[in-house]
Amino acid sequence: MQGIKVMKTRILVVEDDSSISELVCMNLEAAGYEPLPFMDGLVTERFLKEVCISDRVSAKTEVPALALVDVMLPGKDGFELMEDFQKAQIPVIYLTAKDDVLSKVHGLKTGAEDYIVKPFEVLELLVRMEKVLKRTGRSRKVIQVKDVTIDLAEHSVSKGGERVALKPLEYELLVTLAGSRNVAFSREELLNRIWGTDYVGETRTVDVHIGQLRKKLGFHKVIRTISKTGYRLEDLDE
Amino acid sequence: MKLWVKLALTTVLVLLAATLSSGAAVLYQALLYNQEKTMESGHQQLSSTAYALARELQNGPFKGYSEATKNSYINYTMKKFGISKYVLIEDGEILCNRTPFDLADAGDERWQQEEGSGIIQKRGEQYILIEGQRVPTSDGSSYALVLVQDISELYQDMKRQTVLGLWILAGAAAIAMLLIFLTTKRILRPLRELQKAATDISEGVLTRRANVYTKDEIGIVAQAFNRMADKIESQVTELSRVSEQRRQMLGSLTHELKTPMTSIIGYSDTLLHVNVKKEQQQRALWHIKEECSRLERLSSKLMNLMGLYENDSISMEEIPMEELFAHVAQMEKYHLEKMGMTLTCTCSMGKRQVDRDLMESLLINLIDNGAKASKAGDEIFLVGEGNKITVRDGGCGIPEDEIGRVTEAFYMVDKARSRKAGGCGLGLALCEMIARLHGAGLEIKSKAGEGTEVSVVFSR
Repeated sequence: MQGIKVMKTRILVVEDDSSISELVCMNLEAAGYEPLPFMDGLVTERFLKEVCISDRVSAKTEVPALALVDVMLPGKDGFELMEDFQKAQIPVIYLTAKDDVLSKVHGLKTGAEDYIVKPFEVLELLVRMEKVLKRTGRSRKVIQVKDVTIDLAEHSVSKGGERVALKPLEYELLVTLAGSRNVAFSREELLNRIWGTDYVGETRTVDVHIGQLRKKLGFHKVIRTISKTGYRLEDLDE
Repeated sequence: MKLWVKLALTTVLVLLAATLSSGAAVLYQALLYNQEKTMESGHQQLSSTAYALARELQNGPFKGYSEATKNSYINYTMKKFGISKYVLIEDGEILCNRTPFDLADAGDERWQQEEGSGIIQKRGEQYILIEGQRVPTSDGSSYALVLVQDISELYQDMKRQTVLGLWILAGAAAIAMLLIFLTTKRILRPLRELQKAATDISEGVLTRRANVYTKDEIGIVAQAFNRMADKIESQVTELSRVSEQRRQMLGSLTHELKTPMTSIIGYSDTLLHVNVKKEQQQRALWHIKEECSRLERLSSKLMNLMGLYENDSISMEEIPMEELFAHVAQMEKYHLEKMGMTLTCTCSMGKRQVDRDLMESLLINLIDNGAKASKAGDEIFLVGEGNKITVRDGGCGIPEDEIGRVTEAFYMVDKARSRKAGGCGLGLALCEMIARLHGAGLEIKSKAGEGTEVSVVFSR
């Protein structure tokens, strides 16, 4: 599998505030997604119509796997755009400052997959996106980090074409870190996500498994310890 | 007790007392009059009988008669004058008594008077008139004639009349009472309406008015009441309008704060936890700084708006508008030149009572808005004539359905564009506030694509 460029998952970002749009795009990019920003409701609508018309197989551009949509948009608001998203079969997560329950209910009733209230944390956004992608069957099949390829379908990891044997928990840890690459996880978060909330263990356990991963994959520099936080798998596109 | 009952009862009682006492007085007077009449007629009868009797008894026609003969003669004589109501007395001795009564005091001095005098005596249920006088004989004999008459009839009549009078009075009183009750109730009915209206208003039906159209005191009270209700209604409406406006403003404010907050929190979170490229780190820092200064601008504009709400700091003075325009033009000159625009001022207004700083900031705000909508090479006009100052531009204009909302705090027609130009959606809200403090209003005319015309119209 070495040398094959894994295609990134495309995410539609519909947000009219340039600063927030750039913030979301910056983080999606770092986490290994390909953000596609839109600032205006009407422009988004036109794009979605094109997606519908074009033949999915022969389309040059990949159809976005998910859309992060602000509710208050110029031209056509997020709720009104829902129909277009459904026609284009793109799941929607609303991203909005409107945190009253009614609009939340309205958002979810019309068919949104999730609802994130501003201000939000980067990790929260990524985790929720991942969950929606998984639920809608759009998760990545393969994750590529440096020369390491993770085959999510087969649960196998290979480095430079050579298969690397990982214990189940080590594999889970690698998938978690690589799934939101460049984002720091705290030890507690990793414990919760991989060992489960019921697990009564010490955060040392995480350190031990990280050590194993580093040794087996030669990731001493790739998995970095972030002081006062935890660990981060670093892989930036140059 | 209800007011109408009180009023009616008092009236009825007073009326009854008055009729009763006057009725009693009238009856008593009638009784006295009748008594007098009876006595008088008795007196006349007595004196004429006494006179006639005197002629009979004169010169002792029965001198030398036996006692029995004398008695029967006298009886005969008395009988001749008829009517069994006289007692004849000689020297204190009863000579003949044709009445069914016994005269106790036959020797009384009173019966010896020339002029008759009498009394009315009450015996049980009977009233008896006793009147006597000397029989005016000229031969020195001392006969006295006493009239004893039962006049109970007179009193029974009076009694019957009193009873009848009382019945009539009672009937009249009952009718009067009914009428008084009904009329009082009717007169006081508007009070109930007034009370109902007051209750309704206190329960929150502020549009309720008292439907009382009488011209009496109650009508006057109702009018005053309705005026009060008008005032309360308008004040409550005004209050809720202001609080609604404040609520909306607070809502917009929190939303307005959320956007920069989201950016600041998001970017700092990114810098702390996410491994991004060097130049992205720079962008993140730049965004944080930029959003912070947006918050700073927002807070100072808000402070301005709050300051205007507390309007103590306003000093109105008579200022030649031409001078004010020149000052504004000078302040805007550099700013507009940089964007390649020109400002044309024409002023035909005289002096006006304004606060210099506030009016200048209003005009600068309007000119800046015009500049934001225009492009390089455009011209902006500042025109003052009559009671109207107008700022006109040939820029992008405002869509028709949004004109009404542009003076709302935090409202922005084109958010993305406005933010880029450093706006926070408070400018026109501020302008309208300043205009209102000058007793003026904002008039906005605009056509999308053709330009906008904002006028400050003074009411005088």
